[in-house]
Amino acid sequence: MKIRLVNDAAAGGSGSRGVPGALNMGIDQTVLEEVSAGKALPTLRLYHWAPSCVTLGYFQSMAEEIDLAACAGRGIDAVRRITGGGAVFHDAEVTYSLVVPEGSPLAPDDIMASYGLVCEGLVRGLRGLGIDAVFAPINDIQAGGRKVSGNAQTRKQGCLLQHGTVLLDLDLETMFSILRVPAEKLKDKLVQDARARVTSLRGLLGREVGFDEAAAALAAGFAEAWSGLGVELEEGHLTERELANARRLAAEKYSTRDWNLKR
Amino acid sequence: MICRLDYKVPGGKLLRVSVDVDEGIATRVRVAGDFFAHPESAFDEAEAGLSGLSAADLPEAAKRAFSRPDLALYGLEAKDIAEALRLALVQSAKQGS
Repeated sequence: MKIRLVNDAAAGGSGSRGVPGALNMGIDQTVLEEVSAGKALPTLRLYHWAPSCVTLGYFQSMAEEIDLAACAGRGIDAVRRITGGGAVFHDAEVTYSLVVPEGSPLAPDDIMASYGLVCEGLVRGLRGLGIDAVFAPINDIQAGGRKVSGNAQTRKQGCLLQHGTVLLDLDLETMFSILRVPAEKLKDKLVQDARARVTSLRGLLGREVGFDEAAAALAAGFAEAWSGLGVELEEGHLTERELANARRLAAEKYSTRDWNLKR
Repeated sequence: MICRLDYKVPGGKLLRVSVDVDEGIATRVRVAGDFFAHPESAFDEAEAGLSGLSAADLPEAAKRAFSRPDLALYGLEAKDIAEALRLALVQSAKQGS
């Protein structure tokens, strides 16, 4: 199976500096629709966010989880995902999104098994950077006992869509300034707890790792992990039609209160 | 009356339930949280089907609704949702009295 590899860094242009959250989610959905319709190859996209964005799990309540006034004050977007799971603050990170048809080697019926197959690419990629990473079911990757990557999957239109993040750096103060926490006085404790549970490439390697370096390592990790399954990555780009449709979805769905405040 | 409760599933996810109760009827039921459910649409349907039921019947009805065979839950079980709703209703009844 050939998989189109779309790397926002390699693409140059505006995408290389990241795009807004509503457009990122619009692109994810567009690719899902294109692959489902047989109009695009299964696709692995590596991307990031500008401005920073907090995404919410499909089943979460925006009002209960996110301080929207704080987001607005800091120029941070807030968008609901089509995947379940928790709120994620997307700042310094590499985000990936994979869409493959169900039944293909990466998308067996067993959802837990498919998390493992997809996440193996991240594990290999991180090992390529010299990090002793391990898959921590259901949907995390850890290094030194701390989470460095979170992942979320859905199945729609006969396809698997899984997206997730690898943290390049951590800004817990900003993260907790936009997440609603049970009590303000707990905030310091929550930041401390998170620091003990979460890490980043910078924390693990003791140096700054940029998007391009990390994205290249992850692409190599995916290629290595999946070659045994007969998967071949082929560099490509989004089509004009995909971009147009993604922009439409960003405007008509992912920027709307109907979608973002639906729970 | 709106009954809200956060419920940490033992070893699992955080459920945030909210039930609007009007004269004993659950007019709106919301089950939110950081869990996964496949397909998401089946969860939405199960949740929507709870609105309009008697609040007294809600926990049992939720247990049945979220046990539908085409719905797979990760990080929680149908009985956890039922328990969260039961506790939410009990707690507001106490506060209301």
